[in-house]
Amino acid sequence: MSELTYAEIDQTILDTLGPAPKAYWFTVALLAVGILGGLACWTYQIFIGIGVGGQNNPVAWGTYLINFVFWVGIAHSGTLISAILHLFGAGWRNPIARAAETMTVFAVCTAGLFPFVHLGRAWMVYYMLPIPNQRTLWPNFQSPLMFDVVAISTYLTVSSLFWYTGLLPDIATVRDRSTGLRKKIFTILSMGWTGRMEQWRHYTRGYLFFAALATPLVISVHSVVSWDFALGIVPGWHTTIFAPYFVAGAIHSGLAMVLTLMIPLRKIFNYERIITMDVLENVAKTIIFTGLIVGFAYGTEFFIAWYSQNSVETAIFKWRALGHYKIGFWIMVTCNTIIPLLFFFKRIRRSIVPMFIISIFINIGMWFERFVIIISSVAHDFIPHAWGLYWPTVVEMGIMVGSFSLFFFLFVLFVKHMPSVSMTENKEVLVQGERHGG
Amino acid sequence: MGAECRVMGLFTDENRAATAITALAKTPWRLEQVHSPIPSHKLSDALQQKKSRVGYFTLVGGVIGFFSGFALAMFTATRWNLIVGGKPVIALVPFVIVGFEFTILFAIFGNVIGLLTQGGLPDYQGMKADYDPRCSGGHFGVLAACPETETEQLAAYFKEKGGIARVFRPAEKNALNDSGQEVI
Repeated sequence: MSELTYAEIDQTILDTLGPAPKAYWFTVALLAVGILGGLACWTYQIFIGIGVGGQNNPVAWGTYLINFVFWVGIAHSGTLISAILHLFGAGWRNPIARAAETMTVFAVCTAGLFPFVHLGRAWMVYYMLPIPNQRTLWPNFQSPLMFDVVAISTYLTVSSLFWYTGLLPDIATVRDRSTGLRKKIFTILSMGWTGRMEQWRHYTRGYLFFAALATPLVISVHSVVSWDFALGIVPGWHTTIFAPYFVAGAIHSGLAMVLTLMIPLRKIFNYERIITMDVLENVAKTIIFTGLIVGFAYGTEFFIAWYSQNSVETAIFKWRALGHYKIGFWIMVTCNTIIPLLFFFKRIRRSIVPMFIISIFINIGMWFERFVIIISSVAHDFIPHAWGLYWPTVVEMGIMVGSFSLFFFLFVLFVKHMPSVSMTENKEVLVQGERHGG
Repeated sequence: MGAECRVMGLFTDENRAATAITALAKTPWRLEQVHSPIPSHKLSDALQQKKSRVGYFTLVGGVIGFFSGFALAMFTATRWNLIVGGKPVIALVPFVIVGFEFTILFAIFGNVIGLLTQGGLPDYQGMKADYDPRCSGGHFGVLAACPETETEQLAAYFKEKGGIARVFRPAEKNALNDSGQEVI
């Protein structure tokens, strides 16, 4: 990227905001149909009742919670890339940071819908808000579900503000090169940013604090999500390894989603000179690391089940690997820990097609990880006569397809209407070879 | 004394812009403003900028958030003052999580308030006067004020330092920057 000039960076990124071809609008329309399908399924569920889903006794948490954890996980790598790597001064994160942050915001929005869907009577959601009411009932902040409400709301607010702050100088760049309605919209959005050194003085400091605060937040959020499970006494859930295991898994899935999104984006928008092969290779290398952590966590769970000699714990882990959901378990193990090892080969981690395929496998594997954790544990509880099985219904699948459509719909709209790669941060790397100053 | 005029030197090289800023201190002209497309350390050093005070806003926000989180959790717990399973009604350990999340949330709110108030945002008037749109692209803009009679000399100074000069006449101060510009 070092051979690029400021003008070339601006031009490459501004070109992506030009009039969209028909194929783009066809994709948008297709995704909108997916959203409408999901919405129709949800509406049907609201009218008929939560029983149209496959949830039962004992498996009360089905795909709604699987998808919730999956999307929260996807959201995590955005903050990892934008905040943690920023603090470490890793310049290679600059070309992909904007897209990763965007992915974070949209993934949290998507995740946030699932508690509403799972609630059944979605209009009762205000029960979880600490507001004065005639029933004199207040949320119980000793419950991990209330931890989750606080953590996810905080994460959505912080990541949105972080994302918008990062966008501000780029919005001004687009404003200064636009005319008509676009100029008016971007003028309002830019808040009158002119790049005065006085503005930069406070901006760089504020950005540094954003990164410093977002880093512990991102770790806390998925830890809190893991405690939704780990604070229960259900075998397979009640374990202290859950917080780091979930955080590593979240980053693993998020990095894979970054590759899934960035590889087509790079090709379609001619970003090859900005999002270089070295950048993608660094993501692949990080995936090897997170994959090994996840693999270690899988192994540790089995080891502890055996080492504790707890018969219930041992039974659930045997059942995970050999019982009704063994296919899900082996998909999880293969996709999350074995397939990413292919990135050890330089030829593979520097080839676009294999990299893209592996990222898809990891996405699938991480979805199945949540399936295995959530379903298998409650399906095979302490008492054999209370065991039961769960399979998702068409309504659940429809809502799931709707959620994927919503995520990609928002992302596709964003990349065509806002700078999907940060112009400012890439110019910084070009000249200074260093990050935002403090 | 005659009317004052403003001249902006536009540089494509931040080192030259930094040199122009430093050398401007030895001239009779007054440095007004510097615009940059990136947060430049070199320009910051040339301007001898002090550390921003945004951090104080962040700190105050964080402290308020920490106590608010605990206070909210304690308040809601005491609204249903029932001991369950021998556990205390006000249980500090689980409330740490609420306190922590609120600390981060309010610290970020403080950070944003600091960023807006200290950085003078929103500032829609600032982009209407004495601003060149090239400064959000590839140019570093150094704006200086001089008596109207010395406009040519100041413009020549910026040219000598390796930039191009744009003159903002007093009459056009409140006009949109694209109208009636004079580039030397």
